[in-house]
Amino acid sequence: MTTLLTVLLACYLLGGVLPLCTSRPSLQTILAHSGAAAAGVAGIALGLLGLFAAQPLTLSVPSNIPSLTFALRLDPLAAFFVLTISLVGLAASIYAYGYVREFTGRVSVGLLGSLLNGFLLSMTLVVLADNGFFFLILWEAMSLLSYVLVVTDHERPGVREAGLFYLIMTHVGTAFIILTFVIFSQEAGSFSFDDFRHPDQRLPEGLRSIAFFTALIGFGAKAGIVPLHVWLPYAHPAAPSHISALMSGVMIKTAVYALIRVYFDFLEGVFPWWWGFTVLSVGALSALLGVMYALMEHDLKSLLAFHSVENIGIILLGIGAGMIFHTYGLHELAALGLLAGLYHTINHATFKALLFLGAGAVQFATHTRDIEEYGGLLRRMPWTGLFFLIGAVSIAALPPTNGFVSEWLVFQSLFLSVQLPTLFLKLMLPIAAAILALTGALALACFAKAFGMSFLAQPRSAHARQAVEVPLSMRIGMGLLAGSCVVLGLAPMLIVPLLDRVTGPLTGVAISEKVLALDGWVVAPVTVEFSSISTPVLAALLVGGGLVGLLIARWLGKGLPVRYSRTWGCGLPLTPRMEYTATGFVQPIKQVFETIYQPTVKLEREFLEQSKYFIRHQRFEFHIEPIFETYMYRPVVTKLLAVAERLRVIQVGSLHLYLTYIFVTLVLLLLWAG
Amino acid sequence: MYAMVQLVLIVVQFVMLLALAPFIVGVIRKVKARLQCRRGAGLLQPYADLAKLFRKQPVRSSTTSWIFTAAPYIVFASTVAAGLLMPVFLSHTPLNFAGNIIALVYLLALGTFFLILAGLDAGSAFGGMGSSREAIVATLAEPAMMLSILAIALTAGSTNLSTIVHQSALLEGVVLAPPAHLMALAAMFIVTLAETGRVPVDNPATHLELTMIHEAMLLEYSGRYLALMEWAAGIKLLVFLTLIVNVFAPWGIATSVAPLALVTGTAVYVVKVAGLAVVIGVIESMFAKLRLFRVPELLGAAFILALLALVFFYTLRG
Amino acid sequence: MSESTHLGSQLVNLCSVLLLLSCFAVVAQRRLSACVDLFALQSFFLATTAALVAFLTGHRHIYLAAALTVVVKVIVLPRILRKVIERLNVSRELVMNINIPAGLLICGGLVVVAFFITQPIIPLGYLLTRDSLAIALAIILIGFFTMIARKKAVTQMVGFLVMENGVFLGTTAAAYGMPLIVELGVFFDVLVAGLIAGIYTHRLQDAFDSVDTSELTALKE
Repeated sequence: MTTLLTVLLACYLLGGVLPLCTSRPSLQTILAHSGAAAAGVAGIALGLLGLFAAQPLTLSVPSNIPSLTFALRLDPLAAFFVLTISLVGLAASIYAYGYVREFTGRVSVGLLGSLLNGFLLSMTLVVLADNGFFFLILWEAMSLLSYVLVVTDHERPGVREAGLFYLIMTHVGTAFIILTFVIFSQEAGSFSFDDFRHPDQRLPEGLRSIAFFTALIGFGAKAGIVPLHVWLPYAHPAAPSHISALMSGVMIKTAVYALIRVYFDFLEGVFPWWWGFTVLSVGALSALLGVMYALMEHDLKSLLAFHSVENIGIILLGIGAGMIFHTYGLHELAALGLLAGLYHTINHATFKALLFLGAGAVQFATHTRDIEEYGGLLRRMPWTGLFFLIGAVSIAALPPTNGFVSEWLVFQSLFLSVQLPTLFLKLMLPIAAAILALTGALALACFAKAFGMSFLAQPRSAHARQAVEVPLSMRIGMGLLAGSCVVLGLAPMLIVPLLDRVTGPLTGVAISEKVLALDGWVVAPVTVEFSSISTPVLAALLVGGGLVGLLIARWLGKGLPVRYSRTWGCGLPLTPRMEYTATGFVQPIKQVFETIYQPTVKLEREFLEQSKYFIRHQRFEFHIEPIFETYMYRPVVTKLLAVAERLRVIQVGSLHLYLTYIFVTLVLLLLWAG
Repeated sequence: MYAMVQLVLIVVQFVMLLALAPFIVGVIRKVKARLQCRRGAGLLQPYADLAKLFRKQPVRSSTTSWIFTAAPYIVFASTVAAGLLMPVFLSHTPLNFAGNIIALVYLLALGTFFLILAGLDAGSAFGGMGSSREAIVATLAEPAMMLSILAIALTAGSTNLSTIVHQSALLEGVVLAPPAHLMALAAMFIVTLAETGRVPVDNPATHLELTMIHEAMLLEYSGRYLALMEWAAGIKLLVFLTLIVNVFAPWGIATSVAPLALVTGTAVYVVKVAGLAVVIGVIESMFAKLRLFRVPELLGAAFILALLALVFFYTLRG
Repeated sequence: MSESTHLGSQLVNLCSVLLLLSCFAVVAQRRLSACVDLFALQSFFLATTAALVAFLTGHRHIYLAAALTVVVKVIVLPRILRKVIERLNVSRELVMNINIPAGLLICGGLVVVAFFITQPIIPLGYLLTRDSLAIALAIILIGFFTMIARKKAVTQMVGFLVMENGVFLGTTAAAYGMPLIVELGVFFDVLVAGLIAGIYTHRLQDAFDSVDTSELTALKE
């Protein structure tokens, strides 16, 4: 394993350094992405080995700085995330061979590739770090590298602002993370995670609760939970698509990793019920609002970014339910909730990355991100369309794909609330399930829109008419992830034992035997009588049903050939302008949920002079109110600006005055220290 | 031997779903016709319609993609697969292990997804309109359905349909928590009307662009594709009716594989489903179709009913 | 618990639940006359519940209260309200302070709240009717909510009467009814309140050409 880890680090480092040594873009591309891809393969192997290792692998290099040791630890939890990161990293780097051509000339391709390696490396190390300080350094490196990648296209309007917004939010988050670690180090006496795990004495109750909240806010800001999600839909789409895929697919998952690490490992899974309930509520809120805002979005990549908020919510629903069960000593159910959350983590990583890569491919072919300008792409880009469809079906959690399996498990853990002792929770978990059902249905509508408007019917713009299929490397990258989606969906019997290795040590019980019945063909929550599914059988039923339909049609229809004709357009020649637009498609949803959206509609009409029944020109505009930005962030920013305005008194621009400030501060510090 | 019996049971259930669906559609049409003082077409007319459609040459729009031709098969397959997961005439359905009630709901959602895509693919305004409306109706029906199912699942302590049906069938008419049961039933019935596109949510007998939902999505279909879509819609209706009669009033269903029990189970089932179809026909004749933006009120009421069913299940236990 | 008490309490529960459901129907209804009809229906369920309790417990005076309910709330008051509606020439409430689905959701929440509030005292009540207490509280809350959510004076009146029904159910559930004299007084009060509100609605119509009570803010100027 140590060898594999070395190979992984070496590949990332080579991939990071080598491209900067040459100036030929084509060679740079090959060097950078080969490094990242090789490291991805090594990472997958390392993750799998780490999951099955009897003992966690630890490596430690001391340093001269107090409380900082470069300690790495590969336990099953870390191994699972290494596996996820490497899988998506591998697909993204293969995809990038072709994709970065889009950037040649505008930005240095070598630098982009090098940063990609650095970003992947920092994420991998974040989940491996075993020391608080080291973790923070890596966390910052990850944030900064992703910031630089977000602003790659800094000449496009809005990108720099998005980057700045991201930078501020992530640093607010980091401040809270530092606070969390400081609280832990109080009792542990050092910043080593090992001491966090086994402190000399347990933290007092109040401090533990503070640590719970600081961790939730700190890591939640990175994960994009509501109401800390506001940066995410700006920053993720601004980056190049393979980077967006990594940010949405795996970077936000490092926060999930850290939350599990803190709650189940450092706090030993001992907590009051309302912690779990808080996580559950935040999850439900994020899931619902994430998908609702996604529906109103007509920029394909922003839409996907909002769906990341939704899916983080679903993951937290699973984890929150697990925490609640854990409080009441229902360890098997706790393991089930956690397992559902983790299953959704890897599923979301694959299908969200796939969708982002698909969006990138569409953008590559059409040079626009506006869904209203797509249309008819399935006939022009059949492979991209197929992969995007697989991703869309998965994210909408339709059987027999992977999203369905994990969402089903989350449902089961919420339904098993029957076994909880308090009436309040017995009622709240089913309500969370109802919210999840609403979320699922809205996600279905959203991806019917995203796929239908982009890939079906006639092209709505010249961009879409001229689109052609993307290069092979991009298709391979997407195909890899699409294949993973299918495998993760059809073969839970392979995945559940892996996840069980992760949840086992955290909750103290192994449940894979109980979750997998009938040699793994059936997935059931801990109690088999309660429910079961079998995705392979469902897939077989679907194929079988389709075949029967085909046979009946053949047998009765006697193979009559299909006649082609134009779509009926009420006697007028059919034009793309007759199609429903994405805005029109979601209009009923907007109207029904107007309490949440608070839409403002503006309609300007110019009539012909002769009659007001003939419109010469009309302009329709609608906006939805981003409530969190308007009512939560805007006031804070206004206050901050006001305070800053006051502080300008001491900012006069005189160098001498500044030197005086420093001098006075120095003297005061010396006096205080002495 | 055991495997053979199971296999035969699956095939029988499959054939029964396919065969009974047009009959149910026929019953509803007949009831509506009689209530309008018409004689109406015979009960077997839907079979003749399907047979005719299968034999006709299909016309396909030249702007469509493979989604358009694949969708009828996917919609058909997902509906049939959903039908195989639930008990029909026997409380222990062989494929019970393959999916519980949530799997069933999501299988139907798979069909809805491709139906929406098919509506969009032809590129006419009608298809888009139908798809857009279908999306909102399906969205609003889902949470109500989930909660009402849960309220019933709790009574049986399981979300596996066979277990639910088997347990309540064994109770022979005794309902454990009557208020919860009744309210969940009411919620489920409203959801059924919405999901299967009946009045007052959608009108299956109209081709008026202002009001249609389901028909708007099928507007470009013809020949065998239309036949499959219509058949699938009929099966979907049958699936929902079966859910209602078997989950809420399973008395009479066969609880073992004895031949006599199977025969009576089948007979009782057909009578119950046909009876429910008559009720739907009456309702369709009594009410006008709601405006689209009044539908949320109806489905909101269904959601509240389901929620109350859940509350009462925990609090009112005698 | 004996078989008959069990069946009895189930029947009482069922009736109370129907009472509650009719509340929801009022919240979901736009037509004023239908609101009044629903109120009459609700009062009928209330009378049935009271009669059931009287039968099962043997408290005779509850029969009288049930009979009074039928007379006052099922026959007289709805008739007055219908008259008012006829004269006013308004049949529907189109604009509300809170739209119907949101209103239904809020009422669902209120029911949950009512159950939580009464959780600790429920085991103390009589076995037969203890669950009805929570429902009574829920009905009171929903009646109150209706008065806030609606704009027309008539529906606000219905909201008030629904609240009163909730109070009546509550007393029946918690104490097997109030002393007869108090009950008579309450019925008289309700009747008078109904008459006054009817007259007040007419005056409102004369003064503002509308029965929208939000117009009353104009009095300030």
